[in-house]
Order: sequence, then structure tokens, then C-alpha cells
Amino acid sequence: MSDELKLINSAKGGSVDAFTELVHGYRERLFRFLLTRCANHADAEDALQDTFINAYRYIATYNPQWRFSTWLYRIAIRNAGRLHTENVAELGELSDESNDPLAHCIAESERHNLWRSAKRLLSDEVFAAMWLRYVEDMSIKDIAVVLERSSSWTKVNLLRGRRTLEADMNNGAQDPGSEAYG
Amino acid sequence: MDKFANQLHEDAAIIDAEITAELDSRIHASLQNVTPESARPRAPAARSPLFWWGSSLTGIAAAFGIIAIVNLDRPGPLPQVQVQEPVAHIVVPELDLEVEAAMLTSPLAEELAKLQADLRRAEEAVRDDVRIDF
Repeated sequence: MSDELKLINSAKGGSVDAFTELVHGYRERLFRFLLTRCANHADAEDALQDTFINAYRYIATYNPQWRFSTWLYRIAIRNAGRLHTENVAELGELSDESNDPLAHCIAESERHNLWRSAKRLLSDEVFAAMWLRYVEDMSIKDIAVVLERSSSWTKVNLLRGRRTLEADMNNGAQDPGSEAYG
Repeated sequence: MDKFANQLHEDAAIIDAEITAELDSRIHASLQNVTPESARPRAPAARSPLFWWGSSLTGIAAAFGIIAIVNLDRPGPLPQVQVQEPVAHIVVPELDLEVEAAMLTSPLAEELAKLQADLRRAEEAVRDDVRIDF
């Protein structure tokens, strides 16, 4: 039995310490992902906290057939979506560039980050698919599970997302004055 | 990994996602107050076809038994009860109308007598004129 599975079983038995150890390696990765999906830094923190709480509460429903990270990302995406919906319902559409957590979390010298372009050009779902593929190295099947989409949808949209970003990257390289890659 | 994938990987790593001590303690504190829910009860194992056949036959037998018991306990024929006709006799009161019979034929008889008299006079007149006996 792998260490991760042992920790999962202990967490199922009610051990907070085992769960904390289990998710320790996922904290920064998840938080980075949530920063790309949430309207501001505080929301990303709330979403991370909710993700761990929900994961611990419902750990008995985790199916070891899937990678633990797949299950965790699925919860994270749902929490981020729920927070977004609540915020929009309370405050209206949140499209304030000045609050974009990505802008705050990328050093001044690194502002021409591909993920900022991705956030500008791609839909939330395609962005998430790209992130899970190129940052988390997830398989198409796992991405489809996380996003609750078909494998075909995932493949097609990964290809489209990649083409869009490559085109934007090439345009940026050709146009030194452009915003993204100047 | 190609250049594009490398670029995405590197750009993601640049994003500062440091977990502050405050956030860490907040998460840890919130987890202390959560109790994992037990796994959902498993669905009962599928029954064999024999079980369903047995259940159906038992149900049918029970239904026949109930029908038989109900019919055996049914009381005998009820005594005949004569029911009076609910329709009351309608008594039409005889009207005592004192009405004189109208002599409708009187004017006609008089008219006939007058006509016959006229006929007789006409015959006499003709006889006198032609002196022919009919």
C-alpha cells in the first residue's frame, strides 16, 4: 500500500494530522491554480480553505481508482466556481483588472506571463484544461474527470487553447510594442 | 516537452503562491472542527431471479387467500323489504261547472227551413209560369 493510500485511510478514520500531511504537498499547487481562477487573493485563500475542509469531510467518498490530485482539483474548481457565483450575485460582475491576483502574484519583471494571456484569451474551462495539462501533467482522462467533460471535448479544447496561445505568443514576438510580449 | 509546454510550465512556477503562516493556521484550525462523514451505505446486492419469483408467487397466494376469506365471511341474503312506492296518488278534484249547453245547431235548422220554404215558393212560381207539372 502506498504512503498516500495509508494517509487517506487514516484520514478516513478521522485523523486530521494524516489529512494535513496528505494535502501538504498539494497546498501551493492548488493555491497557485486557485489564484488563476478567483477574482482576488482573499477569494483564492477562501477557496483553498474550503477545498481542504470539503475534501476532509467527504474523504470517505474518495475513490482510489482516480489520482488523489484529480479528486482534489475537482473540489477546488467547484469551490472556486461557487465563490465566483456568490460574489457575482452579491457584487455584480467582477472584472476589475486591478484586483486580478495573477497581476499581484507575478513579479514586475515577469509581467508577460503566458498564463495572463491565457486568462485573457481563453474561457475558464479551457484555461483550467490547459493548466491541468501543462502544469499538473494530468492525462486527458483525468482532466475530463476534473472538468466533468468528455475526453473528446478535452482534447479538442486543449488543441484550440494551445493554438490560440501560440498565435498570441507569435504575434507578441513579431510586435515588440504589444502588451503581452513587447 | 516542447518549447511551448516548457514556457507554460515555467510561467506557472513564477506565480507566487506562498502559503502564509496565517492561512496555514487558519486552515489547520478549521480542519480541527470538521468530522469526516462516514461513507455512504452501499447499495444492497442484487437479488437473484429466484428471489423475485418467490416473492411474486407469495404475493399472489396471499391475495387469493384474502379474497377467499372475505368471500367466506360474507353474510347471507338480506330479507326482502317491501318498499312502498314513493309516488303519491294524485287526486284531481272534480270541477262542478254549471255551464249551459250551447244550441249550436239552432241557427242552421232555421236556415234549412227557410231554404226549403224558398225552394217551395220557387217551385210554385215556376209551375205558375209554365203550367208544367213536375
